[in-house]
Amino acid sequence: MNDIRKEIEQDRRGFIKKVLGGTIAGSLLLVIPATAERVLEEIPGMRDEKSVFTRRQFAFIVDITACIGCGSCCVADKAEYNVPDHNYRTWVERYIIDDHDNVYVDSPNGGLDGYTKAREGLPYPTRDTFFVPKLCNMCEKPSCVQVCPVGATYKTDDGFVLVDKTRCVACSYCIQACPYSVRFINPNTQTAEKCTWCYHRVRKGLLPACVSVCPVHARKFGDLADKNSEVWKILHEPHVISVLKPDMGNEPALHYVGLRREVV
Amino acid sequence: MHKESKSKYNSHLIKLIIAMIVFGVLALVVRHLFMPESMGQYGHYRGADIEDQKNVAIRLQTNESCFQCHKPIRKIHKTGVHRTVSCEICHGPYGDHITEGKKVGDLPVKQKQEITHLCLRCHNKVIQARPRESIKMVGLPEHLEQKKVRLDHTCDQCHMVHDPLLWINQAKEMIGIKEENKR
Amino acid sequence: MTGVHHADTVSALTNFVFPNDWHVHWSLMIVLYPYITGIVAGAFIVSSLYHVFGVKELEPISRFSLVFALAFLACATWPLLLHLGHPERCFSMLLTPNPTSAMAGFGYIYSAYFILLFHEILFIYRPIMVGLWHQSTGLKQWMYRFLAFHNDNLSRESLELDHKIINLLAGIGIPMACFLHGYVGFIFGGIKANPLWATPLMPVIFLLSACVSGIAGIILAYILIRKFTGKSIDVDCIRASIKFLWGFFILDFVFEMLEVFSHYYMSTHHWHVLENLLWGPLYTTYWLLQVKIFSIIPFVLLGVLSLFKFKDRVILFFAPIVSLMILIQVLLMRWNIVVGGQLMSNSTRGAVTFVPEWLGREGILAAIAIMMAPIVILFVLGKIFPFWLGERKVDSSMNS
Repeated sequence: MNDIRKEIEQDRRGFIKKVLGGTIAGSLLLVIPATAERVLEEIPGMRDEKSVFTRRQFAFIVDITACIGCGSCCVADKAEYNVPDHNYRTWVERYIIDDHDNVYVDSPNGGLDGYTKAREGLPYPTRDTFFVPKLCNMCEKPSCVQVCPVGATYKTDDGFVLVDKTRCVACSYCIQACPYSVRFINPNTQTAEKCTWCYHRVRKGLLPACVSVCPVHARKFGDLADKNSEVWKILHEPHVISVLKPDMGNEPALHYVGLRREVV
Repeated sequence: MHKESKSKYNSHLIKLIIAMIVFGVLALVVRHLFMPESMGQYGHYRGADIEDQKNVAIRLQTNESCFQCHKPIRKIHKTGVHRTVSCEICHGPYGDHITEGKKVGDLPVKQKQEITHLCLRCHNKVIQARPRESIKMVGLPEHLEQKKVRLDHTCDQCHMVHDPLLWINQAKEMIGIKEENKR
Repeated sequence: MTGVHHADTVSALTNFVFPNDWHVHWSLMIVLYPYITGIVAGAFIVSSLYHVFGVKELEPISRFSLVFALAFLACATWPLLLHLGHPERCFSMLLTPNPTSAMAGFGYIYSAYFILLFHEILFIYRPIMVGLWHQSTGLKQWMYRFLAFHNDNLSRESLELDHKIINLLAGIGIPMACFLHGYVGFIFGGIKANPLWATPLMPVIFLLSACVSGIAGIILAYILIRKFTGKSIDVDCIRASIKFLWGFFILDFVFEMLEVFSHYYMSTHHWHVLENLLWGPLYTTYWLLQVKIFSIIPFVLLGVLSLFKFKDRVILFFAPIVSLMILIQVLLMRWNIVVGGQLMSNSTRGAVTFVPEWLGREGILAAIAIMMAPIVILFVLGKIFPFWLGERKVDSSMNS
């Protein structure tokens, strides 16, 4: 019995080897994933962009008036990148303004666990509250790229600011230079890390993880070179739109709809 | 003093200059040897990193990716008010379940209070900052008291988590039918 | 990383710190780095005061201060290497320096300065090296021969050439020392995101405090070494050094205060952030220690010591004390700038507190070890380059 089994096993292996090397496999591989992948392309035409840099001009828009502070974006982000605890590529802040115009902001664990409790101990009645998600601003003039001593962090021609983790020396200068505090040193790799607007997903036609999971569409991502895109329309319609810390002169590509003066 | 010296008066300076030239040439050779290959290809960075960045593994997929296999739930989830809720926020990342087309692990299905906890991330009334028009707010335990159910009820006992109004609407329909029959 | 993870907040209600700002990335090691380079630059300037500017009273310490500078310069990169997450990649700074980075130049500026300082010492010491080469045997002989460039020609012609080279190196060295430390100040001053750092005065303050710490370090080391080796102390030299120390410290302290005062007077949003820092987590180390105790007291002491004629005994009693206080003042100033600047969150709504750890790569023990290292190196260098031997003889041969 055993001998026969062995023979069958060997036979099977041989068969599989033949199949893998042969044309059958090729056709099989073409059919199944191709259909599977086509369904998944959230940014049309991205898979056909074969050049080093895309010809697109990506923009990220966060709608403060829509955000419900559920923290799904933070959960997705942590899962996508296995971000170590107490470090945040993205986070959600809660702003509370009382009727004496005092501003109270908090962001327990970066909003990763959601907001489960009302803020306690506030002396006056609340006038207004809202949530502000934060992430990399993808500056036109990024301070981090300017100061990186070894050229480990850089800006691509299509606007992404990325960190080469094989070259980063973890001097933390970029962390000091970033006006938005979006960077941290990953304690596992000992390199600087930050939000990339999910460059690897975007290049494969997927939306950034946080955009993809946002249940209320408060995070929007798109191409400003395309005048039919949602982001182009938002930025060219009469909305209240601003960027964070415009005085810094970094010219972020991250825009906020309904940004309030209390937000820093 | 040292009249017997055989060295020329400036030989030390000449030696030093030669040593510096040798050092400079050596430095250039070392620089050439250790320079990352694609450095400066597109800018002051290692050009090959673009490819490395592209190849970072994707761990989160879309709801559509889940629905390719999980067909029964697809109909319910896609038509209900929770259609914009991501599968992976409650169940975990796709990458923990499927990697390179193969199943690598099971994703947890949340139970009881865990479910309530997840629901309250969005629907908790005590967090005032939420725009009311886009989402329904629920205060606990008032909601349970109002609906006259036990206070340890979890959300999923009345609400189908993938389409919270599914059973409610079905029940209303049934009641409606009854009421119509009465008339 | 020595970060304080979710440390105590300063005031619970309004204190909002960006989640990534709870970490203090630049800790003790980056406090020591400008401190050590500052001492180097300052010590070099002491030597230049004699070699270039002809301040004759400083002659006894002019050579010693160069070796002193070299001992500290040898250790200047150690804290940086201990701080880096990937020290093995440190040569990338030399290999691919980013032209727009304020930090990238340090590798080159440091190396160039090291080469310059080392050669200035070799040229100044060459007659002594030649003497020792002929006196010693074996390994020692080989070493001294190497350090004398294998040239024992001490003819007038040769020494005149050396003298020219020394003058050239010292002449280049002064602007370079200023550049080295002004540049270190710019590493901080160029960070626009940080309201405490972002001021054009930062390089100036760093440079002046560097001069102050260098002179103070030289005075203290000179007195201690001479005392321990039972040699006489040139009190006129100390008197002159004290005057220079006072002069530089006046500039240093006035600029430091002017910087804060200008912000206070203009009272922009910038100031409100600084105010919360200086009267918040930095109050003790800044106002109490740096300003009140370790600036005002030495300031008055130095003034009195410079303006009135005191007996040698008094000078020799107060000079080490006031020098030590100045050294502590500069260390506090480095701490308050480097660590203080990071205590404010970019949220402008909150601050963190920071207490350095004892153990670990960037801990207090490592910092003590780093500060001991230059002293050990100075001791070893003293064996090779005698600080005082034949000082008069060389100069007479030079001037002849």
